[in-house]
Amino acid sequence: MRRLYREYHLLGWVYTLTPMRCLLLALVALCLGVVAVRLLTGYQYVTNLTDQTPWGLWIGFDVLVGVALAGGGYSTAFLVGGLRYEKYQGIARSALLTSLLGYLLVMAGLFLDIGQWPHFWRPFVSWGYTSPLFEVFWCISIYTTILTLEFHEVITERIVRPVHKYVVKALPVLVILGLIFPMMHQSSLGALFLIAKSKMFPLWWSQLLPLYFLLSSFFVGSAMVYVESDLARRAYGHEHEHWIMKGLTRVGGRIMAVYLLLKIVDITMKGEWNLLFLNTLQSNMFLLEMVLGVILPLGIVFSKLADRKYGLLVYSWLVVIGVVVNRLNCVFTSMYTSGEYFPSIFEFVVSIGLIAAGCILYSFLVENFHILGRRFARQVNVEKKDVRNLI
Amino acid sequence: MAVLVDLTKCIGCESCVVACKLWNKLPYHPRRTVKRQEDDLDDTRWTVVQKKRVQGDNGREYTRFVKKQCMHCLEPACASACFSKALRVDENHAVVYYPDLCVGCRYCMLACPYDVPRYQWEEALPLITKCQLCSDRLKEGELPACVGACPTGTLTYGNREELLRKAHDIIDRNPRYVNYIYGEKELGGASWLYISDQPFEKLGFKMDLEQTPPSDYTRSYLTKVPFLAAAWGLFLVGLTAYHHHKENKENKEKQGGGKDA
Amino acid sequence: MAREISRRDFLKVLSGTSVLGMGVAVTGCGRSDKPTMGGEGWLPEQYKGTGSYPAQVKGRVAIAPDNPSIVRDDEKCILCGRCIEACENVMTVHGHYPLPLKDEIACVHCGQCTLWCPTGAIAERSEIDKVRQAIRDESKYVVVQTAPATKVSLGEAFGMKPGAVIGGQQVAALRRLGFDAVYDTCFSADLTIMEEAAEVLQRLTVKKQELPHFTSCCPGWVKFCEYFYPDFIGHLSTCKSPQGMLGATIKSYLAAKKGIDPANVVSVAIMPCTAKKFEAGREELSHAEMADVDVVLTTRELARFLKQEHIDLNVLEPEDYDSLLGESSGAGRIFGTTGGVTEAAVRTLYYNATQQAPPAALLSWQPVRGLKAVKEARADVPGFGSVSIAVCHGLANVRPLLEDIRKHGSRWQFIEVMACPGGCIGGGGQPLSAPDNSAAVREKRIAAIYTGDTSARKHTSHENSEIKQIYEEFYGRPLSERAEKLLHTSFTDRSGRIFDK
Repeated sequence: MRRLYREYHLLGWVYTLTPMRCLLLALVALCLGVVAVRLLTGYQYVTNLTDQTPWGLWIGFDVLVGVALAGGGYSTAFLVGGLRYEKYQGIARSALLTSLLGYLLVMAGLFLDIGQWPHFWRPFVSWGYTSPLFEVFWCISIYTTILTLEFHEVITERIVRPVHKYVVKALPVLVILGLIFPMMHQSSLGALFLIAKSKMFPLWWSQLLPLYFLLSSFFVGSAMVYVESDLARRAYGHEHEHWIMKGLTRVGGRIMAVYLLLKIVDITMKGEWNLLFLNTLQSNMFLLEMVLGVILPLGIVFSKLADRKYGLLVYSWLVVIGVVVNRLNCVFTSMYTSGEYFPSIFEFVVSIGLIAAGCILYSFLVENFHILGRRFARQVNVEKKDVRNLI
Repeated sequence: MAVLVDLTKCIGCESCVVACKLWNKLPYHPRRTVKRQEDDLDDTRWTVVQKKRVQGDNGREYTRFVKKQCMHCLEPACASACFSKALRVDENHAVVYYPDLCVGCRYCMLACPYDVPRYQWEEALPLITKCQLCSDRLKEGELPACVGACPTGTLTYGNREELLRKAHDIIDRNPRYVNYIYGEKELGGASWLYISDQPFEKLGFKMDLEQTPPSDYTRSYLTKVPFLAAAWGLFLVGLTAYHHHKENKENKEKQGGGKDA
Repeated sequence: MAREISRRDFLKVLSGTSVLGMGVAVTGCGRSDKPTMGGEGWLPEQYKGTGSYPAQVKGRVAIAPDNPSIVRDDEKCILCGRCIEACENVMTVHGHYPLPLKDEIACVHCGQCTLWCPTGAIAERSEIDKVRQAIRDESKYVVVQTAPATKVSLGEAFGMKPGAVIGGQQVAALRRLGFDAVYDTCFSADLTIMEEAAEVLQRLTVKKQELPHFTSCCPGWVKFCEYFYPDFIGHLSTCKSPQGMLGATIKSYLAAKKGIDPANVVSVAIMPCTAKKFEAGREELSHAEMADVDVVLTTRELARFLKQEHIDLNVLEPEDYDSLLGESSGAGRIFGTTGGVTEAAVRTLYYNATQQAPPAALLSWQPVRGLKAVKEARADVPGFGSVSIAVCHGLANVRPLLEDIRKHGSRWQFIEVMACPGGCIGGGGQPLSAPDNSAAVREKRIAAIYTGDTSARKHTSHENSEIKQIYEEFYGRPLSERAEKLLHTSFTDRSGRIFDK
């Protein structure tokens, strides 16, 4: 039997290099090259941004989608640390890691999309408190710090062990703080668009935008956790119990039902039903986002399909895609005239490269710390030459 | 302070455009790698004059020239959106940009309902650019460069109330004017006020703007955040305390049961 | 007591502070908030006015980007307002029609603004490349004509004094450039006189309702008339300008004579005038889908062209024009000055009415000469009567005249109008020899123009042998059917573009 991967050991640290991970490393290298050009020459060669389309893929995807998806951590943390659903204890650590990596990638993406990047620290001293972005900036900074500190519980099991007991003592406070801050910045990201009422397509603009972003970040959290645990299962064979996942996703499903209800009431109050059926790009994208990302998944998760792994998988991917489409719609579809902006190849390289970096970091950490089921993750033994499992 | 623009008097000489370029040292042939829209604002054109061909109510076509620049709103969306306070309103009501504070996030570009702020895409460390209403000149008691250069009396600088009174007076006395002052009420009012003989929608002005300033919406949300966060925090503390108490009770029961057994 | 510090510790402190310092520098901590952007440039001092009071001359005239004659380089504009002075006060075009605008801003293309602009921001629209391309094109027969005013001013661009007569050298220079034939607009000036004198006689005798008769060889004046005084359009001479007549003749008579397809003929004109560029583009000045004149170069453009090709006017010997369309009488040569058209016309009018040669007085007719704004004269033609005449130059001077005629009717029967002060020698395309093209320069050029008359062998258009030949072979007689078709034109009422109707 020929192994398609190699394990590397160095000073007690392990890393498995699979073909997929080689590809990811290549993507990261490509990304770093583009990042260098971006930081040294600005936007002109690397993006398709213009005066009419100032926000692009990096804000739309890396920041907005990134924060939404990384929010999976806090919803699980709430269920475990807040509501003490002991049954979800097992996935808490992987959820935390996903969250932490997600936010680090968000910060990386954001750093790349500010023109005066040496001035990135300005809002810490010059307070533009009238801006939701100020709230987001501070909140994400503090929250990432908290996540890092929370993650120290995992890290200090192996390195700098004397600190471990202090971290454990601080954990309850950290957990509470870690549940307050995400609520604020998830909703503030929605509040970013409140100011653009005259420019945003009316189907998306609402005074409830912050609430919509908050709710969708909550229910996408459980879906994201499912997606990641599915990928981890393929890589490491580690599996969470299905009934736990079903419970988790159904909690998300209930939130999603509330979200749908709110949207229906909101659109009725604003009298915008006719806008749904104009057959323009905006109308159709809104329908896509709602049908594919909310209505269809609701149908799946509250039916018998939820009992099957496949059902939950489809549900989770639909929800994730739905939220991705929703965030991208808020930045592009609703704000720009259709067809005006499409990201350049270099913008994709950076976004994909950041995700690749996250995946590599995840796989490294998961192999060297007790995250997946409180043991080191190891590659499944490959009997059949099944490449699908080598992630 | 405000500027009244009488569109019936503009002949499209672009003295204002040249004055702005002279005073602000803006280049005429900048290096370009990113496309700009012709005849529109950009990082080297803080004001432009756009030629419009409109059909009047009498069916006849007319040529009109419209000066476009930052509206210097009374409640600017850009200033409220800026999270590092790089855009502020000065004592003459000019909305002024502080490049040293700018982070380059371009939220102001998204927030501005008139699409005014533009970006220096060809720079490695780009800055936002827009009309500054020559705020330094205003502090010295001088006219903005464009107003000072206008040869036909299209532009008038003065106190906003007085200019509004004057504009209403002009409209009342002269039936050729459309009975509307653009910028009087839009989004809470602007410092640039326009009067015209042709309907504003035909001249490319955004007509569907409400009177509520956009910053009102973010303000009503942001003022709620601290309370909501505190309330939620208290709830979580209560929840944690409750669970803690429950655990202690369970532990005591276990110990007590063990003792008994 | 000083404490000893180890070398290691000292280096740590040093490196620590330098790292901190670098951090401060990179992140800009140390600088205070610099205020706004901009405001580091300049504005002409006259703009230091407070409040809303307009202060002095400032700003500039409007120039449409598609203006065929005039272009402006904004980068050179200093908003001095001299163009407004020229256009509003000297030419009475800017500011002389009510706002708001109707279709367009009025421009008569006179080019006085190009003479008044101190930085050269306003200039003629350069068409040198078109001519160069045509000359290099082997399949094209490129023909050029030169206006009388250029013969006494081109030298100024080569360091000569105003009034230097270099007509012959100009011909030599044009040949060096590669033109296939060089002709004289003074020839077609004679042609214009033939047609116009006949027309005037007709109006004086038969078509009296078309009096007063206005000359129409000045395209700036023609457009001014079309804009502001359309009621006078019927009084304009239907004759084309000498440029137009020669262009039409070249593409018909000459092309046939030389056996060349007129479509391969490129007709170029060297003019002291920017409005001639506009005139060349007029629809009416074309025939069989071909423009009479394809490209007009101003005197300044020709000078630039010659310098680009390293041709120095100073070292050339004078040459003669090509024959067929190259002979000119003294009457044709004086077209370049105010009063010249009138004097030339009266000479031939006298002959047409009496069949006798005009008296010596008419060969040096002082009443119509000089820089006075409005000159009046009376031509006594024995056996016919007297013709009362007015000669006007500078559009500011023609306005009161026309207003007076509107109110009280005209006491003159023949009126010559030149848009530019001094006539064509003061045209918008002339070399910039002195600030404002001073009266002194104009007078020198005018004096040189009249020497062209005195030194000519013939002083009347009807004596020009090539003119006689062309009528014999081609046109038949003045106002013939063919002459009407090729040598006469019509005009357009443009007043609706700037006034409410």
